[in-house]
Formats: sequence, C-alpha cells, structure tokens
Amino acid sequence: MTETRAHSFLPLKSQWFHIMLSLAGGEQHGYGIMQDVLDRTTGKVRLWPATLYGSIKRLIEADLIEESSKRPAPAEDDARRRYYRLTSLGKLVLDAECERLQELVQAIKSTRAMVTEQG
Amino acid sequence: MKIAWLLYKRLAEAFPHEFKLAFGDEMMQAGEDSIADLAKRHGIAGVARLIADLALHLPLEYLSEMRRDMKYAVRALAKSPGYALVGVASMGLGIGLTTNVHNQGWVLLTRTLSGVANPNQLVTAETPTSYPYIERYRDQKDLFTGVAAVQNGVEFNVGLPGQSGKPDRVYGQLVSPDYFSVLGMEPQHGRPLSADLDKTGNVPDVVISDRYWRSRFNSDPDIIGQTIRLNGQNATVVGVTPSKFDGALTVNPVELFVPTTVPATVAPELGNDALHNRGLKSFQFLMRLAPGVTIDSAESALDGITRRLDKDDPLAPPQFDKAKRLVLMGAGTRVQIPREIRPKLLGFYIALMAIVTAIACLNLATMALARGTNRRRELAIRLGVGASRFRLIRQMVTEGVLLSLLGGAAGFALAWALAAITAHTRLPAGSPLNPDLPIDWRTALFAFFLAIVSGIGFSVLPALHATKTDIAPALKQGADLQLFGHKRFGLRNVAMSAQVAGSLLLLLVTGFLVLGLVKNSSIQTNFNPKTMAFLFVDPVRDGYTPEKAQAFFERLPDRLRRDPAITSFALAAQPPYLPGDDDNFHLTVDDPHQSSPVQKDFSQRTVGAGFFSVLNQPLVAGREFDERDQRLDRNPTGLPGAAATRLPLVLNQKAARALFGGVRSVVASMDPNLTLFNVQTLSEYLELIRASMSSALRTFGGIGLFGLILSAVGLAGVTAYAVAQRSKEIGIRMALGARKSQVLALVLREGATLVAVGTVIGFLSSVALAKALSAITTAFADAFSLGIGDPRLLIGAPLLLAGLALLACYIPAQRAMAIDPLKALRME
Repeated sequence: MTETRAHSFLPLKSQWFHIMLSLAGGEQHGYGIMQDVLDRTTGKVRLWPATLYGSIKRLIEADLIEESSKRPAPAEDDARRRYYRLTSLGKLVLDAECERLQELVQAIKSTRAMVTEQG
Repeated sequence: MKIAWLLYKRLAEAFPHEFKLAFGDEMMQAGEDSIADLAKRHGIAGVARLIADLALHLPLEYLSEMRRDMKYAVRALAKSPGYALVGVASMGLGIGLTTNVHNQGWVLLTRTLSGVANPNQLVTAETPTSYPYIERYRDQKDLFTGVAAVQNGVEFNVGLPGQSGKPDRVYGQLVSPDYFSVLGMEPQHGRPLSADLDKTGNVPDVVISDRYWRSRFNSDPDIIGQTIRLNGQNATVVGVTPSKFDGALTVNPVELFVPTTVPATVAPELGNDALHNRGLKSFQFLMRLAPGVTIDSAESALDGITRRLDKDDPLAPPQFDKAKRLVLMGAGTRVQIPREIRPKLLGFYIALMAIVTAIACLNLATMALARGTNRRRELAIRLGVGASRFRLIRQMVTEGVLLSLLGGAAGFALAWALAAITAHTRLPAGSPLNPDLPIDWRTALFAFFLAIVSGIGFSVLPALHATKTDIAPALKQGADLQLFGHKRFGLRNVAMSAQVAGSLLLLLVTGFLVLGLVKNSSIQTNFNPKTMAFLFVDPVRDGYTPEKAQAFFERLPDRLRRDPAITSFALAAQPPYLPGDDDNFHLTVDDPHQSSPVQKDFSQRTVGAGFFSVLNQPLVAGREFDERDQRLDRNPTGLPGAAATRLPLVLNQKAARALFGGVRSVVASMDPNLTLFNVQTLSEYLELIRASMSSALRTFGGIGLFGLILSAVGLAGVTAYAVAQRSKEIGIRMALGARKSQVLALVLREGATLVAVGTVIGFLSSVALAKALSAITTAFADAFSLGIGDPRLLIGAPLLLAGLALLACYIPAQRAMAIDPLKALRME
C-alpha cells in the first residue's frame, strides 16, 4: 500500500529530489538546504528562494517532509528559522527514487559498454 | 543593488498571507544572504535571476491558494446542499435571463452587417427621399466616398425560363448599380452590379442572395450567367452575395438585388418616371462617409442642400417648421436605430440586465448574510488560530464565485433553451428576419464573466460583515451573538427591501411592456376572423400592362359575385389590419391649439369598392366607396399617390378556408397565367403575428416572473433564518405565556415591514421608470401608455408580490409557533 503510494511520486521533480537528499542526513533549515545543494553540485544547482520555499510548502502538503521540533543548541539557533525532516513516507519515496536512478545509471553504463565494444 | 533588494522585498511581501506566515521571514533572509554573493559571482544576471524567480512564483502561489479555496468552497457547499441548490437556481435564472436579454436585445441592436467593409462609416437618413435628391447628394464628393440609392420591399415574381408552374414571390431591393461598391462588398460568386454594363436596353443583371441561391437554386455552381424571369422579363444572374448578408437598410430578408436601370416592366415601382420624380419619396440612400467626416457635419451639409432643393420645388408642400429636413443615422448595423434613440434604447437594455443581475445578487447576498452569521463561531475560531481576515473573505468570495459559476452554467443552459425555442418560432412571410442569433462562445463568455462579477458582487459585503467579529464573544455565543438584532437599517433589511423593490420594479415594467405588446397586436374585428380571407393577385408582375390590369380588376367583381359562397368582397392595395406597406405622407393642417399650421403624419391605404362593408365597419360620416370611384383615373382618396399595382382580394365568406379553390378557379378562368399568392385566412395571419411576438413576450414575461420567484425565495429564506435565530427568544416568550397568534404576529411584522417598504419604493420607481422610458421612444410610449393604465397590473402586481412575500414569511412563522419552549431553552 505505502509502496504503491511511494511510487506514485516517481519520478521526483529535480528540486524535490535535491531537497529530500539534503534532508536525508538529518534536520535542516531552508537556507541550509540551499547551501547544501550548492556545495553538493559544486554550484551547478541553485535552488532560488521562491522555488525552494514553494517546493518545501508542496513537500509538506504531500506529506513527504515535516517541520521538526528538534532545534540545534541555542547558541547556533536562529528563532526565525524552521527546521525540516523527512517523514517516513518521504524516506520511502527517496529510497525508491534513488533505486530508480541507480537502475537508470546501470542501464546507461551497460548500453555504453555495448556501444564501445561494437565501435 | 539597493534597488534590487527593494524589489525583492516588495515581491516577497506580495506573496499570499499563508505563505508569508510560514516562509516569509526565511525567504527574506535567504534573499538578503544570497544577493551580495550572487552579485559578486554572476553580476547583474544573477540578481535578475533571483528577482525573476520570485516574480514567476508569485502568481503560482496565488493559483495554488485559489485551488485550495475552491476545494474548501466545494466542501462547504456540499455541506449545505439546500443553500447551494437555491443559490444555483436563482443565480441560474438571473444569468440565464440576462444572457437572453443580452443575446436577443443588445446583440441584435448592435450587430453590424456581415460582409461589409468598415460598417461604421455607413449612414442613411431616417426617412426616405426621392431619387433626384439622392443624385444631388451624390455630388458632395468631399463628404462621401460613395452614395447608393435603395428602394426596399420591392416584390418580384421569379420564374425560370421554360419552366411552367407557379413563379416564386420574393422580396428584393431596387438598388443603384454602385450599391455593392458603396458597401465594399465582393460577391461570393460572380461580380457585383456594375454601372457600365447595366445600360438601359440590355437584358438586366441581377444579384441574388446566398440564401435564395441555396434554397431556390440548390446552390447551383453554374448559377452565374443563368437567365431567370423577373416579373415575366428575362434577367441574368451575375452574382451571389456572401452568406449571412441579408441586405442593407432593412430588417426584412432581401433575396434579389435589382439595378434601378431596369425598365418599369421589370419593376413597376420605377413607373411614373420614379428616377426623376421629385415628389415620389420612395428611395433611401446609403452613404459612406469620407475619412474624417463626422455624421454631424454630413447631416448639417445635407440638411442645407435639402432645404434648397425643397425651396426650388414648386410641388413640394410649404414647410413652416425650422426642424431638420434630414436626419442621419448609422446604416452599418442590421437594425437601424435613430441616433437620438440609440443610446437610450441601449441604456434600457443595460438597465434591464443590471436590474435582473442585481436582484439575483441581492437574493444571494441576503442568504449569504444569514449564512455568515450562522458561521460566526467557525469564523471566529479560524481567526483565533491565525487565519487572516483577508483569507476568510477570500474563501467566502470563492464560495460565492463557485456558486455563481454553477449558476452561470445553469443560466447558459437556460439561455440556450430560450434561443432554441425562438429559433423554432415560425415567422410570417416577409416579416423581419428571424434574428439568427445562435448561442455561441461569445454568449458563453458573457455568461461566464457575468457569473464571476455576480459571484464577487454578492459575496463581498456579506463576507466583510461576517468577518467583522469580536472573537471572544463570538466564540462564547456562536450564532446567537446579537439577540437585539433589530437594527432598522441593518444590511440584511436594506438588502431585503431593495430586493422586494427591485422585483416589483421588474414585474411592473415588464408587465407594462407585455400588456402593451399584447394590446397593440390584438385586433378588434366586427366579425369572426376565421371567415375572412386574403388573396393576393398582382397582374402587373405577371406581365400585364397597367391598362390590361385595370380591365382585369373591373371584370373581377362580376365573376366573384357569381360564387354563392362569397358573402362580400373588396379590392384594396393593402390588406386591412396588417402592418406595413402604408404610404405615409405629411399634410400641413390647421390645429386649433396652435397659432401656426402644423405638420401631421397621415397614412394612406388605397382601398376599393365595398371595403368598409366587408370589414363590417360603419363609417362615422359620409358614404362608402363604390364602383364609380374604382377607376385609377379617379383616384378615390384624392391624394397624390402611386397607382395601385397590387390588389389583394378581401373576401368575407362563411368558411373561407374551404372556398379558396372556388376563387382560384374564378381567377384561373379569367387568365390561367395569373398567380394567386399568400392565400390565408385572417385568423391564420393573426396567429402568425402573435407567434412573431412570442419571443419578446417570453423574455419580458420570464423576467417578471423571475423577480417574483426570487423575492419570494429570498424572503422565505431570510424569515426562516430570523426564526431560527430567535428560537430561544420565542421559546422564552411562549414559556411566559405568549399566545401562538402573538408569536405569529411578531414574526410576520418584521417581514411585513420589509415587504411594505420595498413595495412602496418599487411601485414609485417603476412608474417613474415607465414614464421616463415613454419619453424616450414612441415604441415604448405605445406599449407603456397601454399597459400603465391597466388596473390589473397597477394593483394586481403589488398585491401579488406582497401576498407571495407574506406567504413566504408565513411558512417559517408557522415553524416558530411550533417551537417547544422547553427544547428551545435547553439549547446550548
């Protein structure tokens, strides 16, 4: 049941995937997600503010992420910031998407190998 | 950089409230943090991208909010199906009728001629004039790029050479050869009439209408160059007009366009030297104004010319007035309306549409107000947990828009049904074009916009009202918040009285029109209309010379007299009772109430021996015409006029229908080639006239009825709500010993006051409106003067409305009497 529901989200929109991937390591706030994505993609993917928060809003509505009540140590905390984390459904969806992408990469690799052999 | 940051802030602040509540601060900070970095790394392009991202997402966020509001509205309406049903029904009626008025009235009046280039440049005069005058107007090359002469309603017998059988009787226009070039119209087949080729003496060229080509010639592709017989003479078809073109300057369908260069044998109207006769004012002109020339300047120039021409004409009657001799009006529309009347007529339709829509909105507004009060507790809770007032208002307005969109769909279906009924109404032959006004996407668009505007219109005020709430007491008391709610000028009472007033206004004004139309068209005869028949015979158009026709009409009475079934008969140039074809003229007469002689309009009908006795119509004084008068050289009316060329027979017989055969054989025995046409009894004809008015009656009658139903529904709803709201109070009163009749009076009193106030306002404003409308056009004046004096309407309509309204109050009042004091007090 949950399996089918998780698969109904695939393929994930790329912004959604990047946000969820950033949250895979733990709670994170919006600006942190933006920085994380920038670092991970060496500056190639930038989640612009309205895109980022619009996506976060829709991810919450889709029950893939949720606001986290856990906050960092008071010294690092900024009261204005909200922290988000993956829901259990969100984890399932992220896993399913990663699996799908891996299969895709596998398929690309084997096709390439064939092409190279023939050439 | 500073500007970019300012822009970013503005855009971020413009996001929907809910979005800002969740992400506003963070988005602001994210922007602040990244803007400098972006500028450093990517320069202007990076900053622009940042701003563009916000600008693109702003409408998206609002759309997603709207979708949520819509979902919420669907749920809210599903929860109160009664409200939704009544709302959709009344909105549907309102939008449907408004759309119908828009389609039948407004569009009909404003539609331009199809297939015509720049129709707004075309003008014509309000009254016909003579051909020589038009020739003089044609000289004003600086005012016009083209002037064509047109004579309307010319009948032709059309046959095909070598084909025996009855020829067709169709209406055509006699037009000067430049008619099509003035219109800027290219035929769909063949060529237009041309001045060079249509020289007198050749076989005349004619252009036929697309409709006639389809119906009579079966869309024959080889029609061009084909010879047809026009009134017994050969003519060549040279062109077919584009489809949907029905002729300019007329609302009657035109099948043939015949050049004025044809001989009088083809068109008897051209006899009497019509093209040079200044006294024969039977032509209209069609002018195309030169660029930059206004209709006013053209009018004053033409007026001056007409004045000089009149002065030079020894035969023209002396004119004393200083009024304009010539008044121009637009000629580019299907229906030509004098300029003076046009804005008022269109204003009338706008007002009618506005009133109908306003009443539907008022009705829903009163219901929404009641509903809003009922939802106070829910609204207060939502306000308490942080929903913005704007959000709540937006949601309630969305609910209203959804309701009125559903109503709009129902209304569109209603308008469609009404149009379908109108399209199936058969109109009498030769009567104005059955307005070919199909319901199309433009109609749908109109209904859609009307629905949106109405939806917002009726729900904004109630939403403002409902959300203007002190949270604490509303939470505590819920709907019973204001028990002392007898605010005399409360929004709800004002809306209710306005609704009653508006409904009565509609009922009375449309009632005046309906009664007036019915009375105008009802014909009083001194005999049974089934026993009278009309038969038309037109020997001149069957190829007779005027002398031969005269001889025929002298012999005809004797032959008819031999038929024992015919009790009486008469000849006339125009049939009695039927509209049109009168020769109108002015005479200068002495009026005892005026110091100088005044011009009066008369209409002239050429009638033969025994005409009035056939109609069983005694004369006030003098004697009836007899056969001594019936010679064309002794014109019986003693007035200038054309010789009667078309003489219908008027027969009064015991069973008209059965005896048409007898008359046919009499005429056939005199000449088998003569055509009898339009053979009908009077009652059949009257039936057709009635049918042609049914569309207007249905529209106006429907609107009147609509007001009645809506105000009753509205009153019932509001009273029911008031009763529900006061059930606790009523319970206390009953527990303290109030009688049921006292409770009934208490509830009815409030409704009765509203009804009374509304009735008085509605009555006064409708009489004022009717008076104002009568002052605008004679068309309304005729209808109103007949309708306004009718006591049935003046007394009946307010009584009917008030009665219905009180009944609508009575039903919920009865429910109030059934309140169990114990239960009512135990509530909460």
